[in-house]
Amino acid sequence: MSYIVPIGPYHPALEEPIHAKLYTEGEVIKDAKVFVGYNHRGIEKLATERNAIQTLVLVERVCGICSHSHALTYAMCVESINGIQVPKRGDYIRVITAELERLHSHFLWLGIACHIIGHDSMFMHIWDERELVMDILEKMTGNRVNYAMVTIGGSRRDISDDLRREILDACDKLKAPLDRITEIAVTDKTIAMRTKGVGVLTREDALRMGAVGPHARASGVDIDVRRDAPYSAYGDFEFNVPVVDSGDVYARVVVRALECYESIKIIRQALENLPEGPINLGNKLVKIKEGMAVCRHEAPRGQLSHMVVGDGSLNNHRVSVHVPSYKNTPTVPFMLRGNTVADAGLIIASIDPCFSCLDR
Amino acid sequence: MQEYKRIDIQKDQIVPIAERMRKNGVYLVMIHGFLNKEGLLDVSWDYAVDPAIESYHVVGEMELPSIGEIYDTAATWPERELNELFGVTFEGLDMSERLFLPEDMLETQGRGHIMVTPLSELVDNMKKEGKE
Repeated sequence: MSYIVPIGPYHPALEEPIHAKLYTEGEVIKDAKVFVGYNHRGIEKLATERNAIQTLVLVERVCGICSHSHALTYAMCVESINGIQVPKRGDYIRVITAELERLHSHFLWLGIACHIIGHDSMFMHIWDERELVMDILEKMTGNRVNYAMVTIGGSRRDISDDLRREILDACDKLKAPLDRITEIAVTDKTIAMRTKGVGVLTREDALRMGAVGPHARASGVDIDVRRDAPYSAYGDFEFNVPVVDSGDVYARVVVRALECYESIKIIRQALENLPEGPINLGNKLVKIKEGMAVCRHEAPRGQLSHMVVGDGSLNNHRVSVHVPSYKNTPTVPFMLRGNTVADAGLIIASIDPCFSCLDR
Repeated sequence: MQEYKRIDIQKDQIVPIAERMRKNGVYLVMIHGFLNKEGLLDVSWDYAVDPAIESYHVVGEMELPSIGEIYDTAATWPERELNELFGVTFEGLDMSERLFLPEDMLETQGRGHIMVTPLSELVDNMKKEGKE
């Protein structure tokens, strides 16, 4: 029997609204369609009525998980248009915040993935360890989300020597739980049975549809903006880009777990070599010169791009925000085909979607 | 600082450039659009020619060729978005379904309404309609 099974836009298996139509033969999904646009907030339009500092506050609210990524990418665009060189220490602090953000985002996703497959003890264990990262972020920035660490020309808050040692200690403390989480994620039979061979995206499909981030790297696509087009202080650090070929949900679990180690490695290098000097150029409100720039940042979910057009006034002429989920969501129907309805929620969640980000 | 190269082209160059980029394994970062100071639509196809971004611009055209055959959804989603926000049409692109804007808004106010109308005017219109 053929059925059309609707999922969402509001559904217990979905953290945010998206509508999927599954065209099924019995339990098997033959085709699928996804519909977005349930969170459109007109962020880009609002940005045209705001100056650079106000826009930093606005774009941070595009997403609660990768708020720093948005502020960083917007600031990079304005700095590029105006020819502003960020002090080295400011760049290092930006990178530390970005990698802490990646850590908490990956822990969050790993926890949710375990919750969806019914491994709730693992979900609670991972989220418990995530609190260590959240505590550090709160100490550094004063906030658990929307860190407000970026200003045009640098970072807004410095890292004291005490805090530097505390973050290094936290990196040490994270090592054992991360080893344990990775071991369970990679070897646990329950996780393997629910994720291996499920929701496969081939390398060719990933390339053709422009999949990005851990989602693409789990399909054997070796891309990472931090390495391929170094920005901020990323050129100063050594790190690996984990790539797995199998393209299934299991590969996405493995890639994200391995990326946590690389983030810790980058944070450690940045803290151990934190340069002396100013963190910003004085928090001044700048006019955005006539011109435009497109900048990219490797956000936790993949390549994030902002376009900013300036006309010489204080306000933006145009801001355009495109997030990793914009590229990864269209791959979902391809991943759903041939799988069962029971796995649909997990497959949709496996791209680590952020539909608030996507709709802006 | 990431390098950004602006290159102005004619619209008949859009497809050959996309084919060359795809053949070379270059990622399409995004297709962007904005109204310039003269009120003309400036559409750019931004490619990640690492470490730089090569940005190919076509200005003042409201009918453009689609590169959906070459870059699949990496191109068709931004093309559909530009159609909704600016009203620009892409030859060969299926625009029968909405992407971001509600269907009733597209029906009653038309494609391109949001981006080309100043925010203050949009707010005034909503107040007149009794919406907060």
